[in-house]
Amino acid sequence: MLRVEGVVGGYGSVQILNGATLNVGEGRIVALLGGNGTGKSTLLKSISGLVKPWRGSITFNGERIDGLRPDLIVRRGLVQVTQGKDAYPAMTVEENLRLGAFVVRDRARIARALERVYGYFPILEQKRKQLSGTLSGGQLQMLCIGRGLMSEPRMIMLDEPSAALAPQVVLDIFRTIARIARDGMTVLMVEQNVRMALLLASYAYVIRDGVIHIEGPADALIHDDNVRLSYLGGTVASSDAGLSLH
Amino acid sequence: MSYFIDLVIVGLSIGMVYALVAIGISLIYSGLDILHFAHGEIYMLGAFIGLMVFHNLGLDYTMTLIVAMVLTGLVGVLIERLFYRRLTQAGGGYTVAGMGMIISGFGMSIVLQNVAYLIWGPKAVPFPVPFGMPIEIGDLSLPPSYIWIVCAGLVLMGSLHLFLKHTRLGLAVRAVAHNKDIAYLMGINVPLMISLIFGIGCALGAAAGVLVGPINYVQVLMGLGVIIKAFAAAVVGGFGSLPGAVLGGLLVGVAESLGAGYVSGSYKDIYAFLLLILVLMVKPSGLLGVEARVKA
Repeated sequence: MLRVEGVVGGYGSVQILNGATLNVGEGRIVALLGGNGTGKSTLLKSISGLVKPWRGSITFNGERIDGLRPDLIVRRGLVQVTQGKDAYPAMTVEENLRLGAFVVRDRARIARALERVYGYFPILEQKRKQLSGTLSGGQLQMLCIGRGLMSEPRMIMLDEPSAALAPQVVLDIFRTIARIARDGMTVLMVEQNVRMALLLASYAYVIRDGVIHIEGPADALIHDDNVRLSYLGGTVASSDAGLSLH
Repeated sequence: MSYFIDLVIVGLSIGMVYALVAIGISLIYSGLDILHFAHGEIYMLGAFIGLMVFHNLGLDYTMTLIVAMVLTGLVGVLIERLFYRRLTQAGGGYTVAGMGMIISGFGMSIVLQNVAYLIWGPKAVPFPVPFGMPIEIGDLSLPPSYIWIVCAGLVLMGSLHLFLKHTRLGLAVRAVAHNKDIAYLMGINVPLMISLIFGIGCALGAAAGVLVGPINYVQVLMGLGVIIKAFAAAVVGGFGSLPGAVLGGLLVGVAESLGAGYVSGSYKDIYAFLLLILVLMVKPSGLLGVEARVKA
């Protein structure tokens, strides 16, 4: 569904991506892993159009989207979900959600999307009239995921949905992401929480110095020595064995 | 007592003019991240365009106001597209690109003044609106033009509020004003919204120019005094806050009017800044301002 080939890019004259290549198949959850400053956020922004790639190609549903304005990419059904801190604090929860449906003009469709989002995150319905500035970190992350679903996209890209959240909250959110994917959504998620991401995803890429360094099925990577040593602190804790996200 | 009420009403109406210009400045500041120093000239341009519309199209005053707002708004959109946009893009999006934007704002102000000289000449022209006799209420006699300014100002501000709070486009404008990258990810055509914001700011400036026409003369340099008062008003109210711009504008207008009436008319221009200094001493972020917002 999404095909990224040899993307080179960065900010100003600083080159960050040195030819990144990845594929996301329809209906799958794919994780993009890596530490700080490895280029994963830049790659995400290159796909969503916030950063223009210098070279390489990005294809979504067989159509070239590199170089398109971000709002046009959203209209094609590919949405980057912002981090929780990027909800509009001076707007109510429902205004934030309606903003997510900006490209949709059909009121019935907006109402349907809203209902679906409230189904995934009932807490948002309870707080729909509150300013989003009053929400907790976990609720903000839910709001941003919900907002990303409002235009009924075909694929969403999540930017570190676990950032700065308590483990129990992360678990809740990842379970809901699994549910959203089961309902037919294609997901690309950028994560620093490698362990959780590998439990959720079916395939993963590890990015380093702006290129894909390791890739493979998630259950293979979780036992890969390189990944374990670099990103999982040596061993996979036994408690993870009982952890189920699906 | 009636002298005092008279002064307050005069102050409120001139304050309404400052408020309209200040709202434009605040709107443009939050939408484009620039301090638009040429906004006084937009106000002047609006007044001249209003005069032209009034004389040539034979419209009544209300229609003149609306047509002048639309035309000046379009001129504003043109200026933004042709000039400011290049600068903001060179600086990596709509962020404060350092001094470039400020200097070009001053430059635009000089250019617009000279364009106005070329078209309309240096003469001060009256805006001949027959408003009729003053309205007598008790021992007050209110000139209708002042009442008109206050009412028209309130209607415009009310419409702006409704637009921003209750329409899909207004929601998008607020989103763009808060953060452009996030607005993009909502599927909002950000460059188009920025043009819209600039156009609305210019239309409000034009409204102020047309409204002030009947009580002052229309002339090329009329923007200079107003831009400074409007900046003072915006800062008094809290820079970037629209309700703050309204409050600041009205306070500056009333302070000026009371000062001129009770202390001395020849120091009329000082009172706005006395008020500014007083407010900044007590609340540096302005009356309705939130703590300094760091723009990324």
